[in-house]
Amino acid sequence: MKLKNLSLIIITLLFSNFTKAGYQPFSNDVFAQVKKQNQGNNWLMVLWSVDCPACFEELALIQQLRQINKDMRIVIINADDDEEVAAERAKILTKYQLNDLTNMFFNEGQGAKNRYQIDPNWFGELPRSYFINDQGTFYGKSGLLKKKQITQWLGLN
Amino acid sequence: MSNQRDKLSRLIKTTRIMKWLLCFLSPSFIVFAEHNHQAMMKPVIDNSCEQINIACAKTVTSAFSPKGELWRLWSYKSHLYYEISIDEGKSFSSKQRVAIPAEKISSRNENRPKIAFDKFDGVYLSWATPKNKKYTADVRFSYSVDHGKTFTLPITVNNDNLLTGHSFNELLVKDNGEINIVWLDARHSYQLRKAGKKSNGSALYFAEANFRAGQYVFTNEKLVTGTCVCCRIAMDYNADGSLAILWRHIYGDNIREFALLTLKELTLKKSALKVESNQQESPYQISHDHWKINGCPHQGGGISIDENNIYHMVWFNQGDKGKGIFYASSKDQGKTLTKPLSVGQQSAQASHPHIHKNGAAVDIVWTEFNGIEHQLWHQRSKDHGKSFEAAKMLATAKDGADRPFIISYKNKSYVSWHKVKTEHWLAEL
Repeated sequence: MKLKNLSLIIITLLFSNFTKAGYQPFSNDVFAQVKKQNQGNNWLMVLWSVDCPACFEELALIQQLRQINKDMRIVIINADDDEEVAAERAKILTKYQLNDLTNMFFNEGQGAKNRYQIDPNWFGELPRSYFINDQGTFYGKSGLLKKKQITQWLGLN
Repeated sequence: MSNQRDKLSRLIKTTRIMKWLLCFLSPSFIVFAEHNHQAMMKPVIDNSCEQINIACAKTVTSAFSPKGELWRLWSYKSHLYYEISIDEGKSFSSKQRVAIPAEKISSRNENRPKIAFDKFDGVYLSWATPKNKKYTADVRFSYSVDHGKTFTLPITVNNDNLLTGHSFNELLVKDNGEINIVWLDARHSYQLRKAGKKSNGSALYFAEANFRAGQYVFTNEKLVTGTCVCCRIAMDYNADGSLAILWRHIYGDNIREFALLTLKELTLKKSALKVESNQQESPYQISHDHWKINGCPHQGGGISIDENNIYHMVWFNQGDKGKGIFYASSKDQGKTLTKPLSVGQQSAQASHPHIHKNGAAVDIVWTEFNGIEHQLWHQRSKDHGKSFEAAKMLATAKDGADRPFIISYKNKSYVSWHKVKTEHWLAEL
């Protein structure tokens, strides 16, 4: 029992950065909460995968923009529905210093379902981004975003 | 050869008897059923799936040998495993581990190990092994001369010795043991980046060897540059025995369309191990759907060529001129095409098509998703692709689904669909 408790403490400490910012499995409830938190604002939702080279460029671009814009309304979702990548995705988010953003990840084997919950018209191509306006309307775009598209939408420098 | 078949038959029978005996003797019958669900009438789902069990695999690759044995291959924790069926998938031998040293094996989505055979009981395996640096991998190969009892130590097919991307390998082997492997290779972009230049996409590479003929070193030939970096390749031999390759290419400003190249017979000069090729000069553009995306579609195409040298192809795009799955055929190796026919329901997420011809029949399978379950769909043409019967739903899966593939033996075609965490599902079409 002691060993089990110790393991739990270690795991909690390891992932404390993520839990603070909301690093959690995707679900309809969590998605609804995130939408509520961003209600009335323009915000951006970015989906990425460890198997998508262009996604890394997008994460690097967000990292770069955050250095001069501290309050960016961006939500990051990892679209790998494979728990085998858990350590890798954590490492990548740390590398691009995105741990303090709201982060979600698709559930093991539930990629298609989670994708459908976000947008039944999205086929899994990546990177995938959603521009959400102050009325809560979603505009989806596939492929790497340009810096200007992000800054204009979020009203950044 | 008949001896080996008898041995395999005995092995399967022994496995079955052992399973039944253990069922009655074992106090943990349920656990046993989880590990050996193929032998049971109803699969028992294990949601944890931390096992060697095929149901827990992310991908399954299956193929018929020239003798009609059905092999299915999967990976678990840096090893490859296989099972063999001699009754068209009704029952399988006990699982065997491919006896080679452990190494990482790419086995997810578009990337998966491959298996092929010659007519002399030779078994050929190829896979991609990821390296420690992100997006680097090597294409690997191993060969069994004795029906899988032993395998050669794996060798690396790509010959550049660079820590860069080599993956999405496809493997075909002719009856005489001629091995053809194609893959997406990043050595060209690696060198450009090193020289401070920009690059976009990968290169399509081709390798040939024949272990039975004493050609143990794979040739490496660059076919084209500027391919999409994360979609599987498709290939088939045409009526002349030449290899036709279909892949997703990058045209212009990130327009991702399918392209086709037919290689003419290559002459392998044994002395210098150089390849002389006289192939089609430039690939034909197959799709014109105008899918502009600077990213990863993660959706390759399919090709199957009939005895009249008609190329039957399927692909998936989300362009502003064409969305969904399309089928088209070509009588002139891709130079001209029939009008693309829309397949499946775009509104139901129709995707991941695969195609296979068998005589006059052309079968297409694909998956759809309705928010709750994955559905496997099938559509058949009985007149060489001129017309198709109505689409039929064949099966469903709830806990995840792999891409479907069609395999065949003689005049029968089968669909192989891995329902992740549930079962590897096989049915005659």
